[in-house]
Amino acid sequence: MTSLAPVKKPPTWLVGLSLVTVVIVTIPLVYVVLRVSEIPWAEILVVLSRPRVGEITLNTVGLSAAVSFTALIGGVAIAGLVTRVRFRGAKALLLVSALPLAVPSYLASYGWLVITPGINGFVPSWLLLSAVTVPYVTLPVAAALRGTSAEGEAVARTLGFGPLRAFWLVTWPQVRPAAIAGALLVFLYTLSDYGLVAMLRYETLTWGIQQSFAASFDRSQAAVLALLLVVIALVVVAGERSARGQVVPTTATLSTAESLRPLPRTLSLAVILVAPLAGVVIPLMGLGIRLVGAETVREIDVSRLALATGVTVGMAVLAALIALLLAVPVAALAARYSGKWVAGLETLAYLPHAIPGIVIGLSLVFFSLAVLPPLYQTTAVLVFAYAVLFMPKALGTARASINAVSPTLVNVARTLGAKPFSAWARVTLPLALPGLGIGALLVAIATMKELPATLLLRPTGVNTLATELWSRTSAGEFGGAAPYAALLVVVAAIPAMILSGVRSSAKEEL
Amino acid sequence: MTTLSVKNAGLSYGSRPALTDVSLDIPSGSLVAILGPSGCGKTSLLMAVAGLLSLETGVITAGDRELSRGTTRVPPEQRGIGWVPQQASLFPHLSVRDNIGFGLRKGRRRNERVEELAALIGLTGFLDRSPGQLSGGQAQRVALARALAPSPDVLLLDEPFGALDSVLRHTLARDVVEILREEDITAVLVTHDREEALDLADRVAVMDSGRIVQVGTPVEVYESPATPWVASFVGDTVELAGTWRHGALQCQQCGAADFCGPTENRPGCTGHVVCSLGDVAATAQGYVPEDGAAVRVVVRPEWLVPASSGISATVRGVSYAGHDALVEFDVAGQKDRVRARIAAPFLPSIGQDFRLALRHPALVFPVSQDATLA
Repeated sequence: MTSLAPVKKPPTWLVGLSLVTVVIVTIPLVYVVLRVSEIPWAEILVVLSRPRVGEITLNTVGLSAAVSFTALIGGVAIAGLVTRVRFRGAKALLLVSALPLAVPSYLASYGWLVITPGINGFVPSWLLLSAVTVPYVTLPVAAALRGTSAEGEAVARTLGFGPLRAFWLVTWPQVRPAAIAGALLVFLYTLSDYGLVAMLRYETLTWGIQQSFAASFDRSQAAVLALLLVVIALVVVAGERSARGQVVPTTATLSTAESLRPLPRTLSLAVILVAPLAGVVIPLMGLGIRLVGAETVREIDVSRLALATGVTVGMAVLAALIALLLAVPVAALAARYSGKWVAGLETLAYLPHAIPGIVIGLSLVFFSLAVLPPLYQTTAVLVFAYAVLFMPKALGTARASINAVSPTLVNVARTLGAKPFSAWARVTLPLALPGLGIGALLVAIATMKELPATLLLRPTGVNTLATELWSRTSAGEFGGAAPYAALLVVVAAIPAMILSGVRSSAKEEL
Repeated sequence: MTTLSVKNAGLSYGSRPALTDVSLDIPSGSLVAILGPSGCGKTSLLMAVAGLLSLETGVITAGDRELSRGTTRVPPEQRGIGWVPQQASLFPHLSVRDNIGFGLRKGRRRNERVEELAALIGLTGFLDRSPGQLSGGQAQRVALARALAPSPDVLLLDEPFGALDSVLRHTLARDVVEILREEDITAVLVTHDREEALDLADRVAVMDSGRIVQVGTPVEVYESPATPWVASFVGDTVELAGTWRHGALQCQQCGAADFCGPTENRPGCTGHVVCSLGDVAATAQGYVPEDGAAVRVVVRPEWLVPASSGISATVRGVSYAGHDALVEFDVAGQKDRVRARIAAPFLPSIGQDFRLALRHPALVFPVSQDATLA
């Protein structure tokens, strides 16, 4: 009834722990800035004025913009069709439209290369990345549309507007923030993608960073390019914040699903299915064809395969646990307290979300070499990079699940004699555990698929499924890559699909 | 078995005061109801007593133990004060048994105590169920048992029956009060339901805008309210303008003579007031008006009864409620309309002439009292 104690101050120890998390997750960014600041201005200018740098920067921005725009239009259209047209099995259709999220981009490009080895350049990269990323727009927009009453649209229709105009005038303003936020995720995804663009030989900043790093005499150039990438990401994030606008939540009272005639219905279905087809079905077919090929079966090195799987899963579990440990204090703080400090800490904790994996990888190379040389090229640094990179994925669900535990329950526990920590352990923790588990699983799945940071940081001789797939594909051994690709689908995509069945809201975090 | 005492408690949320100079004594073993509208600060007061909220000023003591002083407080787990929140708020991940036993140390004695409480609330067979399998009333009983388990000195009940339907809430409320009396527990009940407060409590504290406006027995609060606001908050009222006259009315002049016993003056008749109801016996609430002063007259609809010797009036409307009806009258020769509660089944019809008498001294307040309070 009464909103209680808005003046409550968070306990110092919780703020302290959250501060530790924030310091840890901002180390990579801070260190890239420090590293670049050591480079003389003249040298930075030389790097930035190279025609090559301008070219790959334009490539990067152009590709990201094109993919975001395509995903925005496609995602809104698909979401509109899924929620507003009557199909048999509409729920399954939404799930199918989310499938591309479970497939890492480089796996999709691998599958296509197996079938059509000749493709390369901007157009295939653009189309394939759009197919893979369109669910980032579809899912939040579909959720927003389900929360938006069709009543307003119906009123507009009775006032003489056609269906598309009614949608544009009444419904679009309400789903716009969700659509733009989704498009931002697509932009960041494309910006930080390395595997797909490298396989399709389209040269972007991530590719440029990797090249400069590999040519180890020019690490300053890698650092400058990394900072450039970060600046582009942060500018886009800031732009999205101001463009998103606020939405007034309404409760859905009327939901209408229109029945369409057979031809338009088939066309709608085709629009919905084209992304899963291009992003999932065809790549998996390509993979399947190679997998059952006789030469592949002969070539399988079972012990190497088992080792890579073990390394992948083991590091994913470790990274998930560390990410959860980092996320929980911030989640608890943000779920229970408000204020400028709390909001600031939470925003900073989400920072790695906007920073491409390759930048975090590169920064930790510099950091470990400069600060802790014995740790350079060890699994410890790699796991740490994963935890930092994907901690924001655990933060959202952890915050939501702690927030869902009623403070009244904690208060009751206190009046029954439980000290603050004991009340947390006996009431909040067990009730939030499923959500924390889902958060950890999201981190684990993302870790298993990670490629660019892994390529930079992995110790010599240590291979994950992703790096094995990568190195074989770059060497043109599509057959040898197939078993690794298949196992990657099994360890990463299948848990993701189960998860999306368990909790539909978690899908957006994949 | 401890007297709980709140002295000069003050608290604000930002610039909005939640509690202003609140003082309240809850004698050992009694049940005190805090009655007030939503947002009056009653839940804040309860949370402060439970130690879930710090005061800004004031002192809370239990017996000779100081629980809160200013912004410092004994933490809730060391206060020995039980709390039953608005919704039962059972721990959803624990069985009924573990909910009741939450505040007890593990061991054989814990099991005995849980069984004993389950018997007390009449849910012996439900101990291994999960909270999701209980009805609203059962869940509320478990919440009560959970709060009683560690044998608290004081029990706080925050609108514990608010979420239940009216039939259930009545029987459950009676059961709960019986349990509290049996266990001899000092209890504070927060409610916005006046009937609940008047029915269950030994004493009622009426709160408005963060202040305690009146504390008294249910009869005192209802029949002798401190302000017109309290009068209208704890029951229906009829308000009239009138003129105060010193000196109790002679019985033969009073319209209520038929209802009075052989006593010369009824207790409470400190003067009389001239108003639409005629010249009627009256009692000034908490002040002494000057003779001839304009005053605000408040009576309750059930104090107006049919009487052959009463003033004449015409029926204007009937709002029927089954067991009785609120009947609206035009009083002959007066502008004011009055409402009387007439018991069924002998209800008048619209347009009928009727004679009314006031069988209780009218309440008299200063004309501008609410202006100074609000």
